[in-house]
Amino acid sequence: MDRQDEGARMTTARRTERDVLQELTAEEQQLLKRVLEIERAKLHVKAADLTDELLSSVKAILP
Amino acid sequence: MRINSIALTNFRQFSGTQMFELRSSSLKPVSLIFGANGAGKTTLLNAFTWALYGTMSDDVEEQHRMVTDIVWRTLPMGRAAELAVEVRFDHEGHDYRLRRSAEVRKQSDEQQKPSAEVQLWQTMADGSSEAVGAPQERIHSILPRGVSRFFFFNGERIEKLVQKGAYAEVQQDIRMLLDLEQVERALEHLPKVDRRLTADIKKHGGERASEIQTAIDDQRDRETSTRDELKVFEGDLATLTEERESVTDLLRQHAGAAPIQKERERVEKELADARAQERTARGERASLVATRGFLAFTDELAAHTAEKAAVLYQKGALPAPLKREFVDQLLENGRCICGTMLVPGTPPWHQVTDWRQRSVLQMVETVWQQLSGQITQLSSARQELHASLQAAVKRITTERERVTRLEEIMSELDGQLKDSRLEDVQQLESKRRDLGVRIGAKLGRIGVLRNALEHAQREIEQKNAERSKAEVTDELAAKARARSDLVQSVRRALEEILAIRKEDMRSRLDAKLKNVFAKITIKRYVPRLSPEFELALYQDVNGVELAVPKSTGENQILSLSFVAAVSELAREIRAERRAEGELPGDAGTYPIVMDAAFGSLDQNYQREVSHALAQMAPQLVVLVSKSQGLGHVVGELTPYVSHLGVIVTHTTSTADASEDIELDGATYPYIRSSAETDHAELKVIK
Repeated sequence: MDRQDEGARMTTARRTERDVLQELTAEEQQLLKRVLEIERAKLHVKAADLTDELLSSVKAILP
Repeated sequence: MRINSIALTNFRQFSGTQMFELRSSSLKPVSLIFGANGAGKTTLLNAFTWALYGTMSDDVEEQHRMVTDIVWRTLPMGRAAELAVEVRFDHEGHDYRLRRSAEVRKQSDEQQKPSAEVQLWQTMADGSSEAVGAPQERIHSILPRGVSRFFFFNGERIEKLVQKGAYAEVQQDIRMLLDLEQVERALEHLPKVDRRLTADIKKHGGERASEIQTAIDDQRDRETSTRDELKVFEGDLATLTEERESVTDLLRQHAGAAPIQKERERVEKELADARAQERTARGERASLVATRGFLAFTDELAAHTAEKAAVLYQKGALPAPLKREFVDQLLENGRCICGTMLVPGTPPWHQVTDWRQRSVLQMVETVWQQLSGQITQLSSARQELHASLQAAVKRITTERERVTRLEEIMSELDGQLKDSRLEDVQQLESKRRDLGVRIGAKLGRIGVLRNALEHAQREIEQKNAERSKAEVTDELAAKARARSDLVQSVRRALEEILAIRKEDMRSRLDAKLKNVFAKITIKRYVPRLSPEFELALYQDVNGVELAVPKSTGENQILSLSFVAAVSELAREIRAERRAEGELPGDAGTYPIVMDAAFGSLDQNYQREVSHALAQMAPQLVVLVSKSQGLGHVVGELTPYVSHLGVIVTHTTSTADASEDIELDGATYPYIRSSAETDHAELKVIK
């Protein structure tokens, strides 16, 4: 966690998206991908409340 | 998104149903459609946006007259006309058929804006077609309306994309196109998810864990309110900065206009003086005419009078002055001065009496004598009047010419000053100072808020670490903690991804823009995309980098380069391995549909822009007139053209305006006069 925070704050310019992804656990990678899929699908609905859908995804990954 | 075809039914000047195939390949991505001025190129461009969003661009006039005029005119009252645009396209592996249509019922000769219905069908893998439930939303998810202006545009107005003040909007639109928006929205939504999860820790996690979670929630609340406040302050800062820039611009204009203004004031003063001088000269001339003008007409009279007097003198009919009293005395004395007795009735008496009669005219004679003397003076006075009048006329002419010249100068200077919105310099200076102070205050507050945000984040991290170590016996709470940890890890990763994407996108877009622009321009200008997405041009002048004031043409080239760069980057980034996972092959692919494609560009620029766009855009629909499209444009685009067409103008005008267009070695109608109705015909050539 500390390593990632440090990365986010200090070495953003040098690090790549791939680096960030590789440092995540399988569950984290899965959730991140799912979250972006949900958000991408609802981009056109500005007022969408996606809390329930996102929560379900978390629970699906960590039942 | 790739467009496969468009069909128009009674849409504006396109009467009946007319279809144009647009399916293209990556080797031949271009469709080239010619049309004369007013033929319907802008209408065709707007047919795409109308089908997609139900809107047309502001430059389309009489927007309520959607149905072709002649169709409407011949439609019986109470009957309905069909109005529709159907676009077939494919996107991310799916084929779509989009149809926006209306049954427009005629209730009066005037058309009312139709209320159109949108339908969208998606072709499924088995070939069946299925209606999409929320068609407009799906279209927005495929190509959001804000983003569409990068892909459906009028080349003559494209420069607006890079004009001052437009960059905030561009940055906003481009966020979605370059996959930033979904990350930002995820970062907004995940804290809410986390709060829902941690409610279980507070409820069931035991005293210590609950206490830590409460502290975390408090910090999160503070973080959220600080973030919101920061957003407001950053917004204010952007507004103030923009305002200060506009005031600085005004001051710059003022500085530029000051010498002109000064010159105008001088000319204005001189003009007032010239007008006054002209008035005085005219007054003098009028006074001369009024008081001495008669002299001009005395020439003949004086000559005649002098001549008459001279003749009379010569005849002796005009005696020397003889006083009547003297003659009376002679007659009374009865003796003449020569000694002759003057006896009444005698010839000497009659002769002297006759003298007396003649002396009666003494007064007249005196005046006559005076007049004779004055005839000479009259002549010189007349000459004097002539000279004075000549001088007055000369002055009037001189001053009139001066007034005319100064009026011309004034009008020229006014023209130069017309576009300068000049306010009082001191007022502007004080406004700029005030804005500077306010910007300083905002920056100070933003600094404080950023520190507070960092502090809150550190506190939360620390509390999270404590929460991990805290003993949690309840299974539900333990699960909630694990899920919350998962959400927080993802959140941190997304924060980093967002920062990486933002900088990566900007720098790559900047590099692409430089690359495209360098290929097009003949000048040594270098474009730069600032972190705020402001586009500017720079030039190296003896080692010093100076901002270049962009002309309309340069703005158009810059905008087109920007569009080409965005189009290429949107495709490129989706082909890379990203957090979203694998995306379909055509993800990030959008067509570019350009009306008046090359705006007011010179031919060499038209050639380069055509070349760059044909190579960079995955699909390009170019709508051009003969004057814009033939020559270099056709030369450059021909190898890439898959479809060629002409919008033939049919006009009822009987003037001999018919014209042809030669394409691919064959001649096609371009304008046809003496038609039965005014309409446009979409003619497919290839």
